Amino acid sequence: MSLASDSYYMFLRWMKKLVRNPILLFFSLFQPIIFLVLFTQLFSSFGLLLGGINYTIFATAGIVLQNAFSSAFQSGTAVVDDIKSGFLTKMLATPASRASILLGRLLSDAFRVFAQSLIILVLAYGLGVFPVTGFIGYVLILFTVAFFGLAWSGISLALGLRTKSAETVFGIAGTLTFPLLFMSTALMDKRLMPEWMKSVSAYNPISFAVNAIRDLIMIGYNWNSFLLSFGVISLIAILTMGATIYEFRKVVS
Amino acid sequence: MPAVQVENLVKTYGDGTQAVKGISFKVDDGEFFGFLGPNGAGKSTTIKILTTLLRKTSGSANVAGLEIEHDAQKVRKLIGVQMQDTVIDEDLTGRENLELQGHLQQMHGEELKERVNELLKVVDLGDAADKRSAYYSGGMKKRLDLASTLVHRPKILFLDEPTTGLDPQSRAQVWSYLKGLNQTGMTIFITTQYLEEVDRLCRRLAILDHGEIVAQGSPSELKSEIGADRITLALENGNTGTGSLKDKAKQVLGGLGGITEIVDSDEGIVVYAKNGGFLVPDIVRAFDTAEIKLSSIGVSSPTLDDVFLKHTGRRIRPEEIDKSRASGMFGRRRR
Repeated sequence: MSLASDSYYMFLRWMKKLVRNPILLFFSLFQPIIFLVLFTQLFSSFGLLLGGINYTIFATAGIVLQNAFSSAFQSGTAVVDDIKSGFLTKMLATPASRASILLGRLLSDAFRVFAQSLIILVLAYGLGVFPVTGFIGYVLILFTVAFFGLAWSGISLALGLRTKSAETVFGIAGTLTFPLLFMSTALMDKRLMPEWMKSVSAYNPISFAVNAIRDLIMIGYNWNSFLLSFGVISLIAILTMGATIYEFRKVVS
Repeated sequence: MPAVQVENLVKTYGDGTQAVKGISFKVDDGEFFGFLGPNGAGKSTTIKILTTLLRKTSGSANVAGLEIEHDAQKVRKLIGVQMQDTVIDEDLTGRENLELQGHLQQMHGEELKERVNELLKVVDLGDAADKRSAYYSGGMKKRLDLASTLVHRPKILFLDEPTTGLDPQSRAQVWSYLKGLNQTGMTIFITTQYLEEVDRLCRRLAILDHGEIVAQGSPSELKSEIGADRITLALENGNTGTGSLKDKAKQVLGGLGGITEIVDSDEGIVVYAKNGGFLVPDIVRAFDTAEIKLSSIGVSSPTLDDVFLKHTGRRIRPEEIDKSRASGMFGRRRR
């Protein structure tokens, strides 16, 4: 089946490019690692306010997720590069399946987020963070984050395809990152938020994903929060993929 | 069966610009076909349509006997396409670039491996095959790009200015590959600014201007159509002469017999005349009387350059094109 094999070779191409540009990995891993190592120490007394827990354990869920969207946002700029260099056109002149061009990229994004999250979780383990749900918890966390990264890639892909400008993608991504992060439960429990922020964060999709991961780390299996986050991520995925496919068709036709 | 057959092809862009205004032409199987024209004439648009990258507005276009939009997928298996800019993935090695193209052309395993090795040898990249192509020279990148269009042994090769921006040596190399490919029976459809090579290699050519075909035929047919020698006159006040001086000169020339055509060019004035050599003394005498100073005068038999000038009123100058390409890279091409 050509879609599967084409997607595989596209995926392979992106993986090679990533491994050969370690600076990209550095950029997207640097911030989460700084958060994990420094931020959690600086704000460790928050743990007391949250009822005497280890703040590093609390914040890990948020940090893993932050890593997901900071790398997912690079997806759009990579596609802009392919448009500008003419590589996209070159691929379009072959009989390769059109869908595989997007699929290969998305798979590589998901895989990358998976691998980066694993690195962060290993570091976190060194700092005494491990899920109470054990090995299965790790697996569930990684898949949730990868799925979230996939959905999030769609935003930058759609933006990149529409504006064909890496600066715009970076600008919008950079502007979105922190407000979305701070107005969610990623780094702070909702009980300690001002009222208005509490209501904003309740609808922030990041909160849903964070809550599901945090439950797996701190409490145990909470299938309600897990399925809810899956539903929310799926919804984002449908929206962002829809936009991406729409913009891709415009570029391709 | 012709390799390419185009009838009344029209392309109107969304903003209303008509890039191609109903052109018709045919390229025979195995032909080396030149597709010439000034910048913005519609060459790239036509190539994009023929290579299934752009939808036509109306008219018909067949490639290898297949209707390009209905059978786009089949067409893509039969053609190789090289774009204006060198397009390779610089993070990949030469070999990986070729293998990726092969995979996308649904070639796999030993067959692909052998084909890639063979091509690497053909384009002289055997030694650099496993180096990242980012470290290749401009000529090597271009050769890799060319090789990547050949992996699946296309029947028809479309090239959009394949040698623009290359140093003379690499340019000659690319042309000699193309000649070799054509000798193996591959149809070559090429746009280029290098008319000497077109004259030497193309069996037939078409000249496009403002979206219309203004001339087509074999190089010798087109040259003999001019039926006159070219006399190039440069006026003393600068290369081109000021407007009024030029007008005066043209008026003087108009009074002489035996001239078939007078054309403005960047070098000054070009006059076409039968037996041009005999006319030179007349021109010099007439200019002397009118007190117009000539800085140079030259006679030559017609070249494709003259054919181009006659039909488009412009000259092709590869060096200038390079410059304008560099400055207008992003705004130039319409989508």
